[in-house]
Amino acid sequence: MTDATITEPHEQGPILEERHPTYEEVWATPKGWRKLSSVSHRVVGKRFIVTGLIFFLIAGFLALLVRTQLIVPNNTFLDAETYNQVFTMHGTLMMFLFAIPILEGFAVYLLPLMLGARDMVFPRLGAFGYWCYLFGGIIVLSSFLFDAAPDGGWFMYTPLSTREYTEGLSADFWLIGVTFAEIASVTAAVEIIATILCTRAPGMSLTKMPIFGWYMLVTAFMIAIGFPPLIIGSLLLEAERVIGLPFFDPAMGGDPLLWQHLFWLFGHPEVYIIFLPAAGMVATMLPTFVRQPLFSYGFVVAAVVTMGFISFGLWAHHMFSTGLPTISLSLFSAASTVVTIPTGVQIFALIGTLALGRAQLKVPMLFILGFLFIFVMGGLTGVMLAAVPFNWQAHDSYFVVAHLHYVLIGGMVFPLIGAFYYWTPHFTGRMMSERLGKWAFWLMFSGFHITFFLMHITGLRGMPRRIATYPEGLGWDRLNMLSTLGSYIFAAGILIFMLDFIRHRWTGTPAGRDPWGAGTLEWLYPAVAPGHNFHAIPRVTSREPLWDDPRLLEAEAHEIDGSLRGAPRGRRETIGCHPVTGEPHQIIRLPHPTFIPLWAGVGVAVAAVALLAGAYLVAAAAAVATLVIFCIWAWEPSFTGETHNSGPDGVLPVNAVSRVSHTHVAIVGTLLIIGSLFASLCFAVLYLWNVWPSFTTTAGLADPIFAAAAAVLGLGLAVLCELGKARTNVLADMLCVLISLGAGAALLWSMQATDPLASALGATLTVTVVFVAIHCGILALWSAIMGARKLAGQVSAEQTLPELNRATYAKVTGAMLVIMALLLCAPQLGVLS
Amino acid sequence: MIDEESTLGQFGSQSALDAAGLGAELTLTLTTALHVAGALIFLSVMGALAWAWFRTTGARTWWIWAGGVAIPAGALVILVVGSTLTLAAIRAGGENATIIDVRGYQFWWDVTYDPTGDPVRDGNEIFLPLGEPVTFRLTSEDVIHSFWIPSISGKMDMIPGRVNELTVTANELGRFRGQCAEFCGLSHPLMAFEVVVVTPEEFRAFVADLRNEARDPDTIALRQGRDVFMNAGCAACHAIRGEAEGGVLGPDLSRVGARASLGAGMWPMNVGNLAGWIADVQDMKPGANMPSYNHLTGPELRAVAHYLDSLK
Repeated sequence: MTDATITEPHEQGPILEERHPTYEEVWATPKGWRKLSSVSHRVVGKRFIVTGLIFFLIAGFLALLVRTQLIVPNNTFLDAETYNQVFTMHGTLMMFLFAIPILEGFAVYLLPLMLGARDMVFPRLGAFGYWCYLFGGIIVLSSFLFDAAPDGGWFMYTPLSTREYTEGLSADFWLIGVTFAEIASVTAAVEIIATILCTRAPGMSLTKMPIFGWYMLVTAFMIAIGFPPLIIGSLLLEAERVIGLPFFDPAMGGDPLLWQHLFWLFGHPEVYIIFLPAAGMVATMLPTFVRQPLFSYGFVVAAVVTMGFISFGLWAHHMFSTGLPTISLSLFSAASTVVTIPTGVQIFALIGTLALGRAQLKVPMLFILGFLFIFVMGGLTGVMLAAVPFNWQAHDSYFVVAHLHYVLIGGMVFPLIGAFYYWTPHFTGRMMSERLGKWAFWLMFSGFHITFFLMHITGLRGMPRRIATYPEGLGWDRLNMLSTLGSYIFAAGILIFMLDFIRHRWTGTPAGRDPWGAGTLEWLYPAVAPGHNFHAIPRVTSREPLWDDPRLLEAEAHEIDGSLRGAPRGRRETIGCHPVTGEPHQIIRLPHPTFIPLWAGVGVAVAAVALLAGAYLVAAAAAVATLVIFCIWAWEPSFTGETHNSGPDGVLPVNAVSRVSHTHVAIVGTLLIIGSLFASLCFAVLYLWNVWPSFTTTAGLADPIFAAAAAVLGLGLAVLCELGKARTNVLADMLCVLISLGAGAALLWSMQATDPLASALGATLTVTVVFVAIHCGILALWSAIMGARKLAGQVSAEQTLPELNRATYAKVTGAMLVIMALLLCAPQLGVLS
Repeated sequence: MIDEESTLGQFGSQSALDAAGLGAELTLTLTTALHVAGALIFLSVMGALAWAWFRTTGARTWWIWAGGVAIPAGALVILVVGSTLTLAAIRAGGENATIIDVRGYQFWWDVTYDPTGDPVRDGNEIFLPLGEPVTFRLTSEDVIHSFWIPSISGKMDMIPGRVNELTVTANELGRFRGQCAEFCGLSHPLMAFEVVVVTPEEFRAFVADLRNEARDPDTIALRQGRDVFMNAGCAACHAIRGEAEGGVLGPDLSRVGARASLGAGMWPMNVGNLAGWIADVQDMKPGANMPSYNHLTGPELRAVAHYLDSLK
């Protein structure tokens, strides 16, 4: 490190006269109640983790209620209604409000530190996601206060969940609350994709990325594609409940199985979305305790990517007993077994790593061994369930309850508790207790097996799931009693972990720098977390920089040489890299603390609550208010055009106009989500067409002229935006507004003869058209904002990043318009008749 | 001729491990093979883990090819072939099967014998001929249910708007218990049924006998019971052949007294339980579509319960 890098403010252009705040001041977290405005990934990550932990404890308490009810036959501890609410909320909280958010919390906290970034690339989006998660979770949970807790199971099968069979608000609490909370997942997905691809330390090519980055990258893509089917399903179901659109009603040409397809199109990837981050944490922690790099990194990466793809082809194995044709059964059965191979590769890579050296049996390692033991067993019963005849016996019996808890507790909770022991020193600067950790592990491990191993037998002896009570003497009595006692032992283990987690804050041993001797970059700074990441971002030349570059641990952390030292411009900045090579190509300006995400979250929350309360005017007003907040959010000055000296990596542009810039990558990620939402709707249309072949009569009601006009306008829009992406032009913006509105209006107009209430297909087509029209509206609003900014004189000629992003967005919108027009015109063309 | 003791409290009457039908037997063989293979694989992986734990001299890439790719792939091929052959064997031979329609309702089962010829209804108890294939045509009139007799065969969902077929062959005489396996609402745990496997001759005699009109009440007390049944409006939902035709919303009661259990496989059938059921159905089975007839007087309840118990 040279003195020059410290003293010289690397500025080009006029040197500003006023004193800039120091690096520590720029990155300081606001104090007191203003901390709510913090958008730092450390704060947001910890919010996710702590909130997720609270939901975990609540959901775990509900599980104990379930087990207590089942301890003896014909028990009356809970009545059937309460029991149904309790098991529904147990599943819902665990899956939606604990597992995914807490793993996202770890990812948001750890990724920038591991990758060499100063923050997530869209901190406000992350903060907004957290508020959505918190408010959505509170809405779901508050249903208990109104005695309207959802009681239809976490899978909410229709028609049981329709208005006819579930009156009142219970299902609405679930649909609205969970969908709201899911906003956090999809925003996190976009953020994680862009952060991993665009903000890695100089030199960190994809092949030098810590393995956790790969796991999270695949997970984020899976969330982007996997969550939309459920979001669409929930919206359709809520629309059926409130407006009466008959998507799932067989009397109107709908099909209850459509819900199951949409649900499991989400639900199966969901399992891997929960497993992969946890496995990524294992693959990060285990090498630390062996003091050797992960064995066969390339194999593991290939396995994780493969798993991501395969996971989308397995959903129907949750539906083997719904009467699928034999050919589908065989295909899905074979496909389901194939996932064993990437899983096996990962397991053997971990086993291989253990053979590289002498492993230390610290508490995190103990939990990793527990993970391997339990998860391998759960995986094997999973393969058994892929065998159709066996599935017909085991499905919806306690065998499946056993299997899924082996996979989820083994595959996620054990690694998670291990991760708490491993990374807590980073959160708080203090170590958790080895002694209490061992107690927690052995109680959890033994309690787990007593509870769930026996359930395999209970299930094969014929006990179905989700029954509030059972008659005595059928062979289930003793097994259930033991399972319940085991669950108390498991809970005692969790309790000890929680006590340790709270205790360590005050009496834990202070952790030094890199207390486990790990090799990844998050341990660069001493354990008492300073609240900011890198005074200068070091060049990374290997996957375990702290092992391979001893200089990093020799010097004081803040003196280490690197790019972008300090905050010479008084702004939060980080290095933007090329997605593949990791070479720096821009400086990314990051936002400072702001209340905007909180206000946006509150706006959506008010809209959701008003929707539940039936106050549709309030809901509409809140939606408009939220839109205004988003517009204010978007109305920020652009920094494109500035260039600064980053130090070792030379002069770099700020927020470069490039296809590989973080905003464009994020647009692509967002379009992936939009594409998946649209594909889910098209799936619904085609599915209903298949079960109800009078498709042409319903679709044929659409006006082909207007539909074709919408397609032509859509194509024109795409061409206009593509041609105009290199220039800032107010007229082009205005033209975009007009064409977008015209395309949306033409598409809506083409549907005026279709009665959405008359048939499931009509309803689904209408919703799909409205969905596409909404995207035309978004494009119009976006163009209007762009034009207004230019009129306000805020945009200089080289600031064409919005144009670039809009061009990509317009292409997808145009494609959706064309596909929609084809669907609507096809009956006229005689193609589908 | 038929053991009238219900399956309630009978260990193993609802167990996939006590197979008494073709599907369950074949599946049990598959289950055993899967568990033995699974246990061996589990022990091998844990063995490899323990060995690697103590080894410090490095790993080899072929471990991953072997343990992660080759061995799983080989095992999967065997599994897929075995499971497909089992599936084919279970599905074979349903061409000349006897057809029985079963409709799921919250929370009971409507059974129709001979639906393609001269249909005749019964409920919550299903007779099967020993050794002969029977095809169930399964559907639901409200929410999704799942039809599962673990001892005889795997399960099949009952979905409104669809008809799923499930062919089974019972290979053991006796009584078995089935239960709804898809969560269907408040009293989902109280939706079970009895399965009675009899000889083919007895089966045909049973169906023929089912067509006969219910026995006329032959004592004053029973006639009073019938009058209570008629006056209280029970016939709006419940049919009794020869007495009250047309009610389809509740189980057919023409031979209710002959069933071994009451309330869809949940309580032993006797006069006391019948009276309690009629007076307190919402207490015994919350969410059922039948209201509690707690306005009936004690003597009325006794009479109607006796009358129903006499319908055999």
